[in-house]
Amino acid sequence: MNAFLHRLSALAPWIALGAGLLALTLGAFFGIAFAVLLLAGVAFAGVLLLLWNSVNSLAGDTPLSLDEAIGYGAPSAEEEQKRAIFRALKDLEFERGVGKISDEDFREYSARYRAEAKRLIVKLDDNLAAAQKLAENLAAQRLREAGIVARAEDAADTALAETTAEQAIPPEAAVADAISADSSPNATNESTDRLSPTEGAALASVCPACNTNNDADALFCKRCGGSLSQARPAAADSTEDA
Amino acid sequence: MWQSLPEFGTAVIYGVLILAAYTFAIALAAGRGQPRLLKSARLGAYATSGLVAFAILLLTYAFVTHDFRIRYVSRYSDRSMSTTYLITSLWGGQDGSLLWWCLLLSGYTTACVIWLKGRYRQLQPYIIATLMVIIGFFAVLMLFAANPFEASIAGARPDGDGLNPLLQNYWMIIHPPALYTGFVGCAVPFAFCVAALVTGRLDNEWIVAVRKWMLFAFLFLSIGNVLGMAWAYEELGWGGFWAWDPVENAACLPWFTASAYVHSTMIQERRNMLKVWNVFLICLTFLLTLFGTFLTRAGIITSVHSFAQSDIGKYFLWFIGIVLFASVGLLVWRLPQLRARSELESMASREAMFVVNNWALLGGMVFILGATMYPKLSELWNENTTVGPNFFNRWMAPIGLIIYALMGLAPLFGWRKTSSDALRKAFRFPLGAAALGAVLHVSLGSRLGYPAFVAKDPMFAGALGTLLQKIASAGPLIAVTLTAFNVAVIVQEFQRGVQARQRSATKQGEPEGLFSSLLNLVDKSRRRYGGYIVHLGICCMYLGFAGTSWNIDREATLLPNESAEIGRFTIRYEGTRMCPGNPRCSPEEAADLNKRMVFADLSILRGSETVARLSPAKFIFHKSPDGPTTEVAMLRSFREDLYTIVGTVDPQSKRATFKFHVNPFVSWIWIGLLVLIGGASVSLWPEHVLGTSRVWAFARAGGSLATGVMLSVWLAMTPQAAFASTATEKAALDMTVASPLPRLLSSGAWLPLLFGLGLGAAVAYLISRRTASRSLPPSQ
Repeated sequence: MNAFLHRLSALAPWIALGAGLLALTLGAFFGIAFAVLLLAGVAFAGVLLLLWNSVNSLAGDTPLSLDEAIGYGAPSAEEEQKRAIFRALKDLEFERGVGKISDEDFREYSARYRAEAKRLIVKLDDNLAAAQKLAENLAAQRLREAGIVARAEDAADTALAETTAEQAIPPEAAVADAISADSSPNATNESTDRLSPTEGAALASVCPACNTNNDADALFCKRCGGSLSQARPAAADSTEDA
Repeated sequence: MWQSLPEFGTAVIYGVLILAAYTFAIALAAGRGQPRLLKSARLGAYATSGLVAFAILLLTYAFVTHDFRIRYVSRYSDRSMSTTYLITSLWGGQDGSLLWWCLLLSGYTTACVIWLKGRYRQLQPYIIATLMVIIGFFAVLMLFAANPFEASIAGARPDGDGLNPLLQNYWMIIHPPALYTGFVGCAVPFAFCVAALVTGRLDNEWIVAVRKWMLFAFLFLSIGNVLGMAWAYEELGWGGFWAWDPVENAACLPWFTASAYVHSTMIQERRNMLKVWNVFLICLTFLLTLFGTFLTRAGIITSVHSFAQSDIGKYFLWFIGIVLFASVGLLVWRLPQLRARSELESMASREAMFVVNNWALLGGMVFILGATMYPKLSELWNENTTVGPNFFNRWMAPIGLIIYALMGLAPLFGWRKTSSDALRKAFRFPLGAAALGAVLHVSLGSRLGYPAFVAKDPMFAGALGTLLQKIASAGPLIAVTLTAFNVAVIVQEFQRGVQARQRSATKQGEPEGLFSSLLNLVDKSRRRYGGYIVHLGICCMYLGFAGTSWNIDREATLLPNESAEIGRFTIRYEGTRMCPGNPRCSPEEAADLNKRMVFADLSILRGSETVARLSPAKFIFHKSPDGPTTEVAMLRSFREDLYTIVGTVDPQSKRATFKFHVNPFVSWIWIGLLVLIGGASVSLWPEHVLGTSRVWAFARAGGSLATGVMLSVWLAMTPQAAFASTATEKAALDMTVASPLPRLLSSGAWLPLLFGLGLGAAVAYLISRRTASRSLPPSQ
């Protein structure tokens, strides 16, 4: 019974819509008073249903859905600050695109925001490190129990090795990658993608695959995703030449 | 109890109070971090909202079945009223309007709780709890002071008193709900603000969440206020649209603070500044909505809205006091966390301009509030002071012009600081346009009938009086110059954005056309460019406000076939007719048994050509024979409205007294509202994540197109019905029903229709285009 009522409450918006349409149709034949009364009846039934589910939930008789459980992990303050910095960076690039800010100011503010973003991302990584390790251990344990990984020690070793490898990535590189990924969807930002040769050499590394200028500390191209490890020395050389 | 609708309805209101209290308690408990309790609170919030909807449906049922056992039904309806006005009666009086307010708040609560699913888990419990407190307050108010289900002491009467004739106007069908939607909408940002203060999550998280809710409330406050102007313009029959009535003033107060907030929130988002200011503005906006309702309901100040007075003011005062105390307490408690992390780096920055703009808006609000309350406050020291429209107009003109100037200046600055070179470039075109506008106005204005300077009498002696007089005299020139400046700024912003986009696209080898670039630009920065469109709407409105400087008024007493001149028009009085009973009455007029209508038929000539026929009237409702209503007839155009009112008619000689007004540019206020709605809609449009289904994309596009068109057609067509009786030349006095299409085309109402079609088409194009781009495989 409870499960049925629970399912019924999930359909509440559709029931309300259906009742509205039914009331409109029947109202045309039997008058507005009938239609209003019908809607009132449906509303009252809905109230009883919702109240029943609320009390049931209070008593712990209804399961917590996966969505609700996942959603409980609210973003941290650092996460919010990081998003604000990314938004500010996008805005800064837009302002530069429409000529409201000079290149010099742009570079100064952009560097400041990037440094702050890097600091926040490192902090976020640090905060998550313990939870990430725990999750990986749990996953490895589950894999062992399920018999998917034949040799338990190997699986644990693999997980540990991967964790170590990920943590070994220089934070600046990961940050640059994240910033590139975040700012790339904004088409107006792409005005900075193709800079003049001198400017580009000073600021960015050029992707060998698609010829897009990326930030100097980027590991991967923000346009095509290709590796920039080969492009970096070239860019550095050209900067020196300039 | 269950057999009697009044008692059952009262029990339902008790149920609302109990459910709100239950949900409040669970929500507070959920604040300690128990997901099950939060789910229960969410369901409780839905149930509370459902019960309020049930109560309003019960009251609607009572109205449509003429259940005069209920006092509210017998006071505000009668058997002769149409179903539309019976439903309008729900908010036509005090008690019902409180229930209506509660319904809107329930709607917001439901929408907010649905929207919150999976978001802001820490804030949710306190948001729900705050909204439940407000719903609970209205339930208490209804139960103890203004119960819409209260039974008539003398039992059911054979017929009711009917709705106030002034409210039997189609603007009143939509003006109060629109204004209430704006007022009630301010409760959601307030609930977020309380939740953020209680939990200490005071970063940008909640500001981002609140932004669109406040923008939505701002939109409806704008719509409600402008529709109120339209109602006053057409129904009160004094020739204007804003009389600085206390209740009108109260309705516009939250608009000022909401406008200030939608600008200052950007500073917090971008620069992490003004946190205390934003909290202050949100709390103040909510308090002003309560204060506005208090002013409307308490009847402490004389107003044209006296039909809604009662003694519930003390309840509102208590609630305002509690909200004020709680807000200040929370603010002081969290003050250390609200300190700014950045500083104002330069006065030549957008944030500095926004701060000045905020102060100007707040200054305007404080001035209106002070001047509105002064007559009442002056009674405390035994003075009897009245503050009339002239005083407001004289002072608000410079304040309004400062706000208007700042509106144009702010977009020219960049965030943080703007170099002098960039400023020079940014100001060149707008200043040129402003100078050109000023020169053209001074040189051609008088010839066209719109002089740059209009003589004004000094309001009081002294230097300040002289200064105000000079500003008022030069008001038209300043307004025209600033309008040219502001429009040029908006055009320049779009042009620079399009150019930047086209440059970028060309460099990438994917050149874009002008239209495509423009659409993509707006799509990528909706809030920014939606805001500019809102500014454009305000420019249109300012043109309408400035037009009052060139009004022409004339009174005339005429016998049939006599004429009077006003502006470019000659008005010939043809005679009178009373409906029902006259063979020249239209079928609708002949069938109306609710009232007697005395029409004075006028022919409007421009030169020797008859351009229209108007029929201003007096309506005498059978339910209130001592208070005949004035029904205005107008000839509208983009350039000016010819506004005609009949005062008295001698039944023997047919001699009639008239008031004629030529009101330039009033139509631009209504056009400005449409543009503002369009701009706000662009800003509010969600960042849709359509996933892989194209079906939804096209369904949404089609839906938005249909909605845009329907809204535009409706807005375009309805003003025509505002005239007591207006017919074009072709439809002369025989009252032949004119086809709507020629009427639409001749009236100029095609512009909003075209605007709606364009908006809908643009939205459809954007969505289909975006979906198409998402459905493409990733480039290699």
